[in-house]
Amino acid sequence: MDDRQRFREVVLPHLDDALSLARWLTGNVTDAEDVVQDACLRAYRAIATAKGINPRAWLLAIVRNTAFTWLAKNRPKTAVTANDEALFERASLEMVDPQASPETILIGKIDAEQLHSAIATLPLPYRQTLILREIEELSYQEISKILSIPIGTVMSRLARARNLLIQRLVMAGKGKAGAA
Amino acid sequence: MNKPSAWSSREESLLLLNAYLDNELDAASVLEIERRMAADPALKLEHDRLVQLRGVLASQLKTQTASNDLRRRIEEMAEETPPPVVQRLATPSRNRIRSYAWREMAAAAALAAIIAAGGTYAFLRPNLGSNEIAAIVAGHQRALLAATPFDVASSDRHTVKPWFDSKLALSPQVIDLSSAGFPLAGGRVEVIDGKPVPVLVYQRRAHIISVVAIPRAGQKDTTEPSLATTNDGYFVIQWHGRDFDYTVVSDLAENELDEFVNLWRHAARGN
Repeated sequence: MDDRQRFREVVLPHLDDALSLARWLTGNVTDAEDVVQDACLRAYRAIATAKGINPRAWLLAIVRNTAFTWLAKNRPKTAVTANDEALFERASLEMVDPQASPETILIGKIDAEQLHSAIATLPLPYRQTLILREIEELSYQEISKILSIPIGTVMSRLARARNLLIQRLVMAGKGKAGAA
Repeated sequence: MNKPSAWSSREESLLLLNAYLDNELDAASVLEIERRMAADPALKLEHDRLVQLRGVLASQLKTQTASNDLRRRIEEMAEETPPPVVQRLATPSRNRIRSYAWREMAAAAALAAIIAAGGTYAFLRPNLGSNEIAAIVAGHQRALLAATPFDVASSDRHTVKPWFDSKLALSPQVIDLSSAGFPLAGGRVEVIDGKPVPVLVYQRRAHIISVVAIPRAGQKDTTEPSLATTNDGYFVIQWHGRDFDYTVVSDLAENELDEFVNLWRHAARGN
């Protein structure tokens, strides 16, 4: 199979997922498109190494690396801010409404906008970990290697990220303004 | 931090609950968290919310559709760029160390201390000896790049088994699964940790499945659950069998590979 044809077969079917991943890592669609285009060029140059491996995982790993490089260059300040660190210290895992009745189980009808802003306001380390898990579908061990953090930290970041999302969405569902 | 002990137990339950839903717990901890949920309606409620959140995330995170314009730009780029001549064998770096790593590490260390104190590490699925897995996956990749992924080509187990016996003076069980859609393609020998080990090769449509059998003399067959992981985009499943530790590698979808392993182990016990 010719390289161009292999590129079309390996890369093009996963463009939507690639763009979704880049969108969450960079924070907006315009930057995500730049990252995806750059990642696709890298993928094309390395297409021979894609033989026999899971194409989606392979492409998404390239997109993630490209996005990290892009972030380091264009957004050096998106490193962990003092604010995030404070949150890190403060945030404990809280049961949302331990006395809630079964009717309030539902997070409520969530519109995409609410969810997106809830995710966007997560501290960066939480958001990255969540994205690697939910979009790239990586294992704790893989995430631990990629982000150079212990597995226990992967575990607690995921738990806290989801806990924060649920708290915010439940609040939003109740029609109360503001987040937890 | 002055927290009552109930707090840490609650915190631990929530951590376990997440790992449970991410399929990262060992069998004993799965039982433990299920027991806790049965005894604690509030925890069960939290579980239901997490399941619900997962559903919402699944539908709301992958919302982007590449515009026609982007698709066109990418296709044109491939048309205009000459095909790559040099094959890069290295896979994309996975261990990027970023400039703010130390700050993260400090925060991570603080959290890790809390978690380690609770013994949460012990609940995670055991580390599968990732060096060995990396070596096995690399062997599988090399085999795919070679002219054929096997040294002896045969769909007949009565050919493959004696071939291993003659080469290595030992042979794993060779299971025929052709009736289930996993025909035997052949066998090869690989060197893992300095020792030659037999590898069975099966096929599923265009996919190749390598079954690496590392000798463990005297080991009994078990019904322990298999352990699944991924490495470089390949699915890897391991289990302990009679006289061998088995590792299966393939780019096949995880559920199909699971099915293969279940059939294989079932047939091996019947033999």
